[in-house]
Amino acid sequence: MPIITINKLIKDYDLNGITVNAIRGIDMTIDKGEFTAIAGPSGSGKTTLLNIIGGLDYPTSGSVSVAERELGGMSSRELSDMRLNNIGFIFQAYNLIPVLSALENVEYILLLQGVNKKERQERAREMLREVGLEKETDRLPKDMSGGQQQRVAVARAIVSEPEIILADEPTANLDQKTGANLLDLMHDLNKKKNITFLFSTHDSMVMERAERLVQLTDGVITTDETRR
Amino acid sequence: MMTFIKLGWRNIWRHRRRSLVVISSISIGVFAMMFSAGFMNGMNVQMVENTISTSLGHIAVHRRGFQDNMKLEFNFSAGPKMLETIDKTPLVKAWAPRVKMQAMVRSSESSRGVMIVGIDPEREKNISKIYDYTRKEDGSRFISGRNTDEILISREMAEKLDLLLGDRLVVMLQDKDNEIIGTGLRVCGLYETPVNSYDRFVVFVGIEKLQAMNGLGKNISEISVLLHDKKDVDTVKDALIAGVNDRSLEILSWKDMAPSLVKSIRLFDTMMFIFFAIIFMTVVFSIANTLIMAIMERFHEIGVMKSIGTRPRRIFFMILFEAFSLGLIGVVAGIAAGMVLHVVLSYTGIDLSLYQESMRVWGTGSVIYPVIRFIDIVNAVIIVFFTTFIAALYPAVKAARIKPLEALHFI
Repeated sequence: MPIITINKLIKDYDLNGITVNAIRGIDMTIDKGEFTAIAGPSGSGKTTLLNIIGGLDYPTSGSVSVAERELGGMSSRELSDMRLNNIGFIFQAYNLIPVLSALENVEYILLLQGVNKKERQERAREMLREVGLEKETDRLPKDMSGGQQQRVAVARAIVSEPEIILADEPTANLDQKTGANLLDLMHDLNKKKNITFLFSTHDSMVMERAERLVQLTDGVITTDETRR
Repeated sequence: MMTFIKLGWRNIWRHRRRSLVVISSISIGVFAMMFSAGFMNGMNVQMVENTISTSLGHIAVHRRGFQDNMKLEFNFSAGPKMLETIDKTPLVKAWAPRVKMQAMVRSSESSRGVMIVGIDPEREKNISKIYDYTRKEDGSRFISGRNTDEILISREMAEKLDLLLGDRLVVMLQDKDNEIIGTGLRVCGLYETPVNSYDRFVVFVGIEKLQAMNGLGKNISEISVLLHDKKDVDTVKDALIAGVNDRSLEILSWKDMAPSLVKSIRLFDTMMFIFFAIIFMTVVFSIANTLIMAIMERFHEIGVMKSIGTRPRRIFFMILFEAFSLGLIGVVAGIAAGMVLHVVLSYTGIDLSLYQESMRVWGTGSVIYPVIRFIDIVNAVIIVFFTTFIAALYPAVKAARIKPLEALHFI
C-alpha cells in the first residue's frame, strides 16, 4: 500500500528570469515502512522532491499524495497540520530550537499537537532514552555535539510517531562513525515502529544502508533499485 | 501557550545586551515622563496653591458683576445670617471679609496704580498666606488692627516707590460718591509672595479704615472662603449657593475666578502630551528595530518552527510576548526609578532660584516640589504598552508570514 504517490511531477524555478527545471517528470510510489534513499549529485532535485513531498514547496505540475491525501488541493494551514501530524523532518543542520533544552525540543511537537504536559514529558524522555540521550535531557543544543543534536532531531521527528520521516542529508554534517550510529538508530526505529524513512543523500554509506535506492540525475529518476 | 511564553522569555535574553538597551530606552522614557509630569504637576499645584493662598481663596462671595468689573458699587452687606450659613457649611475651614478697589499710592518719589484690599487682620491670617509672606525678619509687621493708619505693601512696590518701613505714603481713591479722597498711611510692613503680578499691584490696609475712606460703611466687596481640601470646592460652592440663597450675589470657585489659570494648566497638560509623544516615538523605533533585527537573525529558526507545524498565530503571539516583556520590564524599572527620584525631590524640591524672577512670573515659587499623580503612572503604563504593541505589530506579522521553505534556505 503506497504511503507516497508521485505522478508526473514537474518543478520549474525562475532564477533571475531563467527557468530552471529542477524536477522533470517523476513517477514514483513509496510503500509504508520503506527505508529509501534518494541519491544524486548537488542540483539533481532531491531536496526539491523532499520539500514537495513535505508540503513545503508546490509542484509546477503533476500530483503528490501523502497518506492518501492529495497535497495539491490543500491550504497552507492544512499543509501545516499535515506536516505536524503525518510527517517528521530531520534536517542537515539539525535545526533545533536553540533556547529549548533537548527534552523541550522533543516535547515541542507534542505540545503543538495538544498533548498534555505529563504525557508529553514521558514520551519525550522515552524518545530521548531510545536515541541514547537520557542523560542529556536538560542540555541546550549549543552544549551538545553535532551527533547528539542530530539524535535530538531524530527524537523530535519520531516522538509523535508520524507515518513518514523526511530526512534531508541527515549525515552530511556528521563524521563517519557518528553518521553510522545515526543510521543504525534510524534503521532500528524503522523496523521497530514501521515508520517510512525517505532520505536525500549523496553519502555512500547512507546509499549502502538504504533498502531502496532511487538515483536522481538532472531532475529525473535514472535508477530505482530495491534491495530487500 | 506557556511554552511560547517560555520561548519568548528565553529569546529576549539570548542577546542580553541588546535587550538591556531596549529596556533602558523604555525605562529612561518612562523615567523622563514621570519626572517631567511630576515637575509640571508640581508647578501647576504650586501655581494654583499660591494663587489661592494669596488672593482667591477656594470660594468667594461677591455682588453679582464684581468679578467682571471690580467697581466699588458692587458691594454688599454680609449679615449675621449669611455669615452663620458660611460658618456652618461643612468642609469650610475659615472665611474673611474683604473690601477691594482700585486706588493710587503716591510717595515723594513716584506713584502707582494699585488694588487696595481692606482686610480683617485676624481673619485674614486664617485664610491667606499674606501674614506668612510678610518679611518679619526685616522688621515688617502685619496690619495690626481693622482701623489703623497702616499699609502693607510688597517689597517690589517699596523699591519702585522708594519707600522704607515706617515711611508715609498717600492713598488716593474715589469714594462711593465719586469724590477723590487722599489719606496718608504709614508703611508697617513689606511682603513678598511667589506671584510677581500680585506683588506689583496689591496693597493691604485695615478693612474698617478702607470702609471709612471709601464711605462703604459696613459693606464689603467679598467674603473669601477657605476649605479644608481643594477637591471639595464644587460641593461647597453648591452648598453655599443653596444656603446663602441670594440672587444678587455670585458665589464663585477659584476655577471660575481664574479661568486663565485653568487654561494654562490645560496648556501644560497638552505640552506634556506632545512631550510624551516625542519620547515614545523614539521608543517605538527602538523596540521595532530590535524586534526586526531579532527576527532577521531568527529567520531560519522561525522557518524551522513553521516547517514542523507551528501555526503563524503562535509565532505572532511569541513575538508580541517578547515585545510586551521588554515593555513591562522597562516600565517597571522606569516607574521604580521615577518614584525613587520623586520621593527624594518631594523632600528637597527642585531649586530654581537661578531663575527666580521667571518663576515669580509663573507664580510658582523658585523651589518646585514634584507631584506624581496615580493617573500619571497609569498613563505611563498605557502609553508604553500601546507603543510596544504598535512597535511589535509589524515584526510579529512579518515573523508569522515567514515562508518555511525560504527560511530553511536562509542561514
